[in-house]
Amino acid sequence: MGSSIFVQQLINGISLGGVYAVMAVGFGIVFNVLKFSNFSHGGVVAITAYAGYYLSRNLISDFWLALAATTLIGGLAGLLVERLVFRPIRIAGKPLTYFFVNSITVAMIVQQFFSAMWGAHYFSYPDFFERTAFNISGLIVSRTYLLMLVISAVVLIALTLFLRATKLGIAIRAASSDIYTPPLMGVNTDVVTGITFLIAGMLAGITGFFLGMTYTVTPFIGSMMIKGIIAAIIGGMGSLAGGVIAGILLGVVEALLIAEVGSSVTPIIIYLGIVLLLLVRPRGIAGKPYTVKA
Amino acid sequence: MIFYAKVLETTLLFTMFVLSVYMLSGLTGLFSLGHGAFITLGAYTAGLATTRFGLPIWLAMVLAVVVGMIGGLIIGAPTLKLRRDYFLLVTFGFGEMVRALLLWTAQLTGGAMGLAGIPYAAELPLIGVSTLVVVVFVANLKKTAFGRTCIAIRDDELAAQAMGVNVYAHKIKVFLLSAAIASYGGALLAFNMSFIEPNLFNWLESAKLIVIIFVGGINSVTGALITGIFYYSFGELFRFAHVWRDVLLGVLVILVIVFRTQGLFGNWEFSPAWIKSVLGRKRSGKQGA
Repeated sequence: MGSSIFVQQLINGISLGGVYAVMAVGFGIVFNVLKFSNFSHGGVVAITAYAGYYLSRNLISDFWLALAATTLIGGLAGLLVERLVFRPIRIAGKPLTYFFVNSITVAMIVQQFFSAMWGAHYFSYPDFFERTAFNISGLIVSRTYLLMLVISAVVLIALTLFLRATKLGIAIRAASSDIYTPPLMGVNTDVVTGITFLIAGMLAGITGFFLGMTYTVTPFIGSMMIKGIIAAIIGGMGSLAGGVIAGILLGVVEALLIAEVGSSVTPIIIYLGIVLLLLVRPRGIAGKPYTVKA
Repeated sequence: MIFYAKVLETTLLFTMFVLSVYMLSGLTGLFSLGHGAFITLGAYTAGLATTRFGLPIWLAMVLAVVVGMIGGLIIGAPTLKLRRDYFLLVTFGFGEMVRALLLWTAQLTGGAMGLAGIPYAAELPLIGVSTLVVVVFVANLKKTAFGRTCIAIRDDELAAQAMGVNVYAHKIKVFLLSAAIASYGGALLAFNMSFIEPNLFNWLESAKLIVIIFVGGINSVTGALITGIFYYSFGELFRFAHVWRDVLLGVLVILVIVFRTQGLFGNWEFSPAWIKSVLGRKRSGKQGA
């Protein structure tokens, strides 16, 4: 691999890794509060990928407005899912198993709905910009990738500030360490979980929009979420910062592996790597070990 | 008639898959989103063993089960020690990995083109008997110490451990057993369909096997059986509704979990004792009148 190709792949990898990081955080924030693997996140990603496609093709030609609208739709979808699917069983105090089953069911409904509606069609986003790439001293940097990187970074920083400095953010963090005590301190758990799903949904909206722009929109786009989940595992379940680092790492490793050994072997190497990692260091990059029963 | 026999064969095979997942998810509370991978592994091992290496059918089936169990050991050994979410997430990855592996080794497996020309060796009697054996085995599991240990682990892992259950070893046993049944079923599937391809079972198929159990109720083998048979025969008989049936199934699952968490069938099991009790009730009713 030449050095310029290497740098090129590195940049692409970091950009795609930024999207994985956003996905890992969206998955992780719900995991932290409710302690279950939220597969419905992939469903919301798929919904927003389609919504973003529809909006940008038919209604909004401006990139920023389309992104903002898609993010909002994602947030609303997240809220709706929480309201319809998770809140009833949370209030009834059902075991975590049922949360998980409901979440894969949501992912399944979304995927099969889109398959049934537009299964035979593949959609691609319009080109938002006239110049699609920059040439920086011989390196060609795709504008989409650059935007992905910058926006992911901004979003993650904004989220960190929100979680650190605002009352709601602190309530979410409190609920992450223990969901039973905050209500005793006057925190409304319904609001906190609602907001958590709203944030996760908005993150899914950004992910969905970018994944839609990078790849074509198909019913299976929600299963791209596996990348976010892998990042969450590598980073250590329950650690958002670990998820971000692991997401970027995964993006880079993936891009370099694809350039070096080809796209068919890459997933095999990555999955074997994860099994090995769990054997050696299950807590991931930053996480605390989770041994509590599910 | 041939069409209905085909429907019956497919339904029976999928019922076997549902039961293998029932052991794992319903009884033990472990969720494998890559269970389809074991079916695929079994199918491909059997298919390759007969078409590429010319092995006899029975040996191919044994090989399929062995390969499935080895796959289960590779995935189960590191993850079953950890919190259940890891198991779930890694099995999800395993499903994708097996698919990638089959595509990568296209020279041997035929890759995306699939593997054709597998001898047609699994007819209705073999499938029927195999499924019946699995049904009887799983249905009686709840009455045995093995099955009760599973339920104890599902309901409270710490308490089970405190009672002297080796949770890790037991989970591995259940997982390997379930993987063995799934890969055996996969081998039967290959010998029944004569053509297999890597996308036969994606994560969605594995997820469906899980949610079907929750419609019937995790405590009821009968429930899992009835829902499974209904769902898979319905899908074969009404192909026109094929694309929408999963959406319907999904909505049904959510409704059941929100409004009737124990499942449609709850703790109810179809058994000789139940028949006797129903007959007894009728008779005593008549005497009273």
